[in-house]
Amino acid sequence: MKQLRHISIVWFAFILIATGCSGGTSGSKEEGAQQEKVLTIGNTIDNVTFDIHNHGNTQTESIHVNIFEYLVKKDGDDPRKKLPGLAVSWERTDDLTWRFKLKEGVKFHNGDPFTAADVKFTLERVAKDKSLVDYSSYSNIDQVNVIDEFTVDVITKEPDPILLARLSRISSGILPAAYFEKVGVKGFMDDPVGTGPYKFSKWIKDDRIELVKNTDYHGEKPNWDRVVFRTIPESTTRISELLTGSIDIAVIIPPGDIQRVKDSGSTYYVDKESARVQSLLVRQTPGTVTENPKVREAIELAIDKKAVIDNVLGGAGVPTQEAIGPGILGHSPELFNTDIYNVERAKQLLAEAGYPDGVELTLSSPASTKEVAETLAAYLTEASFKVNLEILEQTQYKQRDNSNTFKELALQGKGNSMFEAPLQLEIFITENAAGQTDYSNKEVDELLKAAATNLNDEERAEQYERAQAILAQDRPRIFLYQNKFNYGVNNRIDFTPRTDEMFYADDIKLKEDE
Amino acid sequence: MLKVFKAGLKNITQSKTGAAGLAVLLVIICISIAAPLIAPYDPAQANITRKLVPPSWAAGGTTEFLLGTDNLGRDIWSRIVHGSRVSLIVGFCSVAVSGFIGIALGLIAGYYGRWIDAVIMRIVDAFLAIPTILFMMLFMFVLGEGIGTLIFVIGITGWVSYTRMVRSEVLSVRERDYVRAARVVGAKDSRIIRLHIMPNVISSFIVISTLSIGRVIISEAALSFLGLGIQSPAVSWGGMLSDGRQYLATNWWVATFPGIAITITVLAIIFVGDWLRDWLDPKLN
Amino acid sequence: MGIYIYRTLLQIVPVLFIITLIVFILVHVTGDPVAMMLPDTASAEDREILTQALGLDRPLYVQYYIFLSNLLQGDFGNSFRYGEAALPIVLERLPASFELAAASMLVACCIAIPFGIWSAVKRNSVFDLFISGVSVLGKAMPSFWVGIMLILIVAVQMGWTPVSGRGGFSYLILPAITLGTGIAAEMTRLVRSSMLEIIGQDYIRTARSKGLREMIVINKHALRNALIPVVTITGLQLTNLVGGSLVVETVFSWPGMGQLIVQAINSHDMAIVQASVFVIALMVILINLATDIAYRALDPRIKYNR
Repeated sequence: MKQLRHISIVWFAFILIATGCSGGTSGSKEEGAQQEKVLTIGNTIDNVTFDIHNHGNTQTESIHVNIFEYLVKKDGDDPRKKLPGLAVSWERTDDLTWRFKLKEGVKFHNGDPFTAADVKFTLERVAKDKSLVDYSSYSNIDQVNVIDEFTVDVITKEPDPILLARLSRISSGILPAAYFEKVGVKGFMDDPVGTGPYKFSKWIKDDRIELVKNTDYHGEKPNWDRVVFRTIPESTTRISELLTGSIDIAVIIPPGDIQRVKDSGSTYYVDKESARVQSLLVRQTPGTVTENPKVREAIELAIDKKAVIDNVLGGAGVPTQEAIGPGILGHSPELFNTDIYNVERAKQLLAEAGYPDGVELTLSSPASTKEVAETLAAYLTEASFKVNLEILEQTQYKQRDNSNTFKELALQGKGNSMFEAPLQLEIFITENAAGQTDYSNKEVDELLKAAATNLNDEERAEQYERAQAILAQDRPRIFLYQNKFNYGVNNRIDFTPRTDEMFYADDIKLKEDE
Repeated sequence: MLKVFKAGLKNITQSKTGAAGLAVLLVIICISIAAPLIAPYDPAQANITRKLVPPSWAAGGTTEFLLGTDNLGRDIWSRIVHGSRVSLIVGFCSVAVSGFIGIALGLIAGYYGRWIDAVIMRIVDAFLAIPTILFMMLFMFVLGEGIGTLIFVIGITGWVSYTRMVRSEVLSVRERDYVRAARVVGAKDSRIIRLHIMPNVISSFIVISTLSIGRVIISEAALSFLGLGIQSPAVSWGGMLSDGRQYLATNWWVATFPGIAITITVLAIIFVGDWLRDWLDPKLN
Repeated sequence: MGIYIYRTLLQIVPVLFIITLIVFILVHVTGDPVAMMLPDTASAEDREILTQALGLDRPLYVQYYIFLSNLLQGDFGNSFRYGEAALPIVLERLPASFELAAASMLVACCIAIPFGIWSAVKRNSVFDLFISGVSVLGKAMPSFWVGIMLILIVAVQMGWTPVSGRGGFSYLILPAITLGTGIAAEMTRLVRSSMLEIIGQDYIRTARSKGLREMIVINKHALRNALIPVVTITGLQLTNLVGGSLVVETVFSWPGMGQLIVQAINSHDMAIVQASVFVIALMVILINLATDIAYRALDPRIKYNR
């Protein structure tokens, strides 16, 4: 009996200790935090890595831009406009070469001076190591030559009209060459070092990343003492954190919560057009129903894009018929924000195509957009299509996508971290489309290939616009809408979203400071 | 058979909760069988022009939609009626699958013993050491979603308790005199199993499997929440509850009704299970 | 006793082997980790390059052989998601998970033990019915639903607790209640039935017939003996606890193993999935062994060598 008493005492004591310990350690920290200026942002996924060359994730980049800096920075509203970052000036010296003058007197967080050697190391690492995830976006860089301590030449294999776009995104944050080589990838993951206004402080995986201000920052003094990025995947939880004031900004407000964020009295709602375009991939393979252009047209006419946006996305989108949005070179205004919904015409086209009683179609969609897919299916049914809806979990969707085994239609969102046309359009070149949509149009091929290495922006814009006009007729994809991404923001914060979805902490201000 | 039925009927009058549970369960089964007749609308047909209509008795509701509509304008009552099919089919079929695997392996392990028994019991230990929901997630993830997969997954992760139950039953029966005698006389294994072992096993099986059906319905909801449940256009209560959670604060009816449906069904099953246990197998209590 | 422990320990080895086999086959049957790692815009060539660089193009048995021999050295491979060794990442999550598990178990015990005992003592009373009703209800509600309702009511409406995340004691309250009540439902029933069994035994009846006051009978005689099976019951709830934490940690953004596993499965991070399943299984087996030994040590009626 004594033994029993001991065991139960030990068992309870151990529970109490386990719960008590953690209570003690972090409680005191919260109290000290009151004096500090802290910005807290609620993301949906955790930081993927600190190896900036080895991921392709926008939310991760939105954390990293505070630690690492690019040579040139995108303007928040107009991503084509490039602002000085670590480079003070830049010019194209010949078709293959860009020359950058670097800012002097910049120091990394560990005290190392920033020089041309760091630029060479950073860009050549991602351009040469095929095992890195972001390699393909940089493989056109042939070499980076150090001219003097604060001058570098970036030399490409082919003329590259979008090099500046490449240098102002994910993998172009400048790494400290000497430190990185000394500590290796593993060491860098534990203690990443950049030149940015905020220094890495701690990372609790799947919980939070904390950054502290870099008092030696080379630019304007950082605005916040501490910036916290929390990971809150469950949207109900994220919105609740926002409403209770525990986080200042929450990303991705689901349609059901938009009104709540607007009405809460302590928060406001903002959205911004993104470069992400949602579309239906349409198979043109001989033998499929959608080989017939009339069927493809009927599909597009049957969908009330505006109603889908308003009712399913809570208004967070703009109807479109093209692959690229406003502000990106090659955008065609006449294809943007159009309303071509016409269910009667769709039925008529379908009848002309030889299917007066409708025809069967399979529509695949990732689970993340299943509500849109379900609504599209309803519209297509209205126009007398018979739709087999196939909702796939993310990985399975990607596998089907990679193996090109979708049937007639697949719902797909395409992001565009470059803010340039090639990424979005080159999938329509015959070789790239083979197996996927099996689309082939000689004129489109020629236009896109010519534009890829054309250094004359005016001509390039014309080539892309012409290609887009043809694509809107041929419909290898039926473009639906340009996504807006949205945020819930605490009233104490002044926050203007950027088209590139980055969170530059110093552009986010306390209202009382203004 | 009739005798058993009569005995059951007599017994159920003794248990109020059991009787209530049985009645509810019978109603749910009837609803699910007659789903297309009862449901006024196609459960999968979206119509965003009539989205988020409140239930008929609430302000803004119409008699057209008894329990209101969801975020895509689908009739919630129709979805619940059709969803009952999925919940019950998955519940019954997966219990059948795990019962089949479990009883077969339990019989083999208990009857033949030695290394076969050792191997089977180690597999049982391995399955017991991994939380069921984790196992289900892994299987669902690898095999892809669908009602068929879900039945298979829940079936293949749930057999362990049957195996343990059957094995211990077999072990105790095997040593009884009349079974030994039958073996000495040269009765075939299959005959011994059928005549002497199965009758002892069947009542425990009924009790355990009734309670498992309840657990299966809850597991399906958890899987939906984790993003690996049954996907549209198929309708399941778990999926409705999981999708509706976004609207809990603003449009309560979207998630509340599937939640109530799950709770009532599982409650009914637990009550029936408890009653069956008291009646058929008092020693399990 | 020594022989018993030795034999049980020996049995763990094949069990662990079977677990590695099941998980390895499962994870490698299908799935394309490369697809999850590359951005949407990657070409087929990029995928090919990455597949080769990661060694995923080799035959399955070679991958398994490598996996197993590495495993013996505690090396589960590198996490695709974090680019680091998987095992330390999993172990790093243990304190958070352990904290939540312990608190939930405390909640569960605080509910289940008194209520279970009380409803056994007052068998078939209104109270007993009420308790069994509530505990059945606890089993009939999915935990994510309970968690979200708690967040909306307690944290958002009332503002009594933080919504999510890990921090001081207050952060622990809601997740521990969500996870704890789910288990308490099952435990209450078990405690009640083991208590009933003991109350029905001869020496209790004797004590009662001797005219001892009810409270003394319950406290001195029944309670102590009833607590022995409770130790086992608590141990047996462990897998349920770990399983429940997958959902509860996701709802409350709790940075423990549960969320790690959910994220790893969603991003097809094989190394993490395998390492965490293995760690969980090992813990469950060891803790069950420990409770089993404790139980046997407490109750001399059980023999060790069957």
